[in-house]
Amino acid sequence: MALLLLLLQSWSDWGPFVFVRDSKYGMPLVQSFHLMGLTILLATVLLLNLRLAGLGMNDYGLSWLARQLKPWTLGAFAVVISSGLLMFFATPGKYLGSRPFRLKMALLCLALLFHFGVVRRFTAADSAARSRRVDVIVACLSLTLWFGVGWAGRAIAFVP
Amino acid sequence: MSLFEWCQWLQHTRFATAISESDYLFPLIEGSHILALPLSVGMIVILDLRLLGIAFCDGPAGKLVLNLLRWCKIGFAVMFLTGGLLFITQAGKAYGNVFFRAKLISLLLLGINAAAYQKLFFPKMAMWDSASGAPAGAKLCAGVSLLLWIGVIVCGRTMAYQF
Repeated sequence: MALLLLLLQSWSDWGPFVFVRDSKYGMPLVQSFHLMGLTILLATVLLLNLRLAGLGMNDYGLSWLARQLKPWTLGAFAVVISSGLLMFFATPGKYLGSRPFRLKMALLCLALLFHFGVVRRFTAADSAARSRRVDVIVACLSLTLWFGVGWAGRAIAFVP
Repeated sequence: MSLFEWCQWLQHTRFATAISESDYLFPLIEGSHILALPLSVGMIVILDLRLLGIAFCDGPAGKLVLNLLRWCKIGFAVMFLTGGLLFITQAGKAYGNVFFRAKLISLLLLGINAAAYQKLFFPKMAMWDSASGAPAGAKLCAGVSLLLWIGVIVCGRTMAYQF
């Protein structure tokens, strides 16, 4: 771990990383992009899962909604990941030993696997008929994982 | 008592210090404030994109408003409640902060913008909805809303770095 930190710190002299780490407005600016990405990403995930559970957007077809939301989910994910990587490489010491950060990454992997493995199949046009209860459970799991990523991310600032 | 003195008094009330000194209350309130973003601002952004003709264009915008509004109201209720509590714990420091002031002014302008849309374009929505698309004025409201919300997020995040 110490070796990894040393390696990462040797990279962190690159201009953009220095800007994020050392300038007055670098970090808040990158975090603002992270939050704007989060807003769109979680808004699209929320709408899709609310529709899946039958709790919102019920005037729209499930697979139609999934198709409409997809490019915005992916675009917002790109913003969140790139701003997140920028923060990670600028100040790796803040994240490597952090327990909430590890939890966040684990939850992120689970959320992605669940989204592309299960939710995408459930919201596809040719998906088989199911009971409402299964839909609700899948939606709850998906939202728990995605918002769990957010909570774990917030905890990085408060928990060692 | 001046407004600044009132803010300082507010920050030092027992209620405010109880929140800011608690190990989990402050993180919990701040986390809720941030994670209510998709439910509040996120829904508005989706509506703005629809009015601008960028996304969700199959189907009338009026239908989208009806579908989003209920959840959006819950989102903004959480936002104002948690935002108010966060302000109470930091009132004295927030008072003179330029980013906090810019955020409040942006929110005020967003309120005026939304009221203008409600008065000028919402009543006739059914008419222009089925036709070609939103009138230029409605699109202007949507564009202004998008820009101001970006400003609110940037100011909100930046001010926390100055306390």
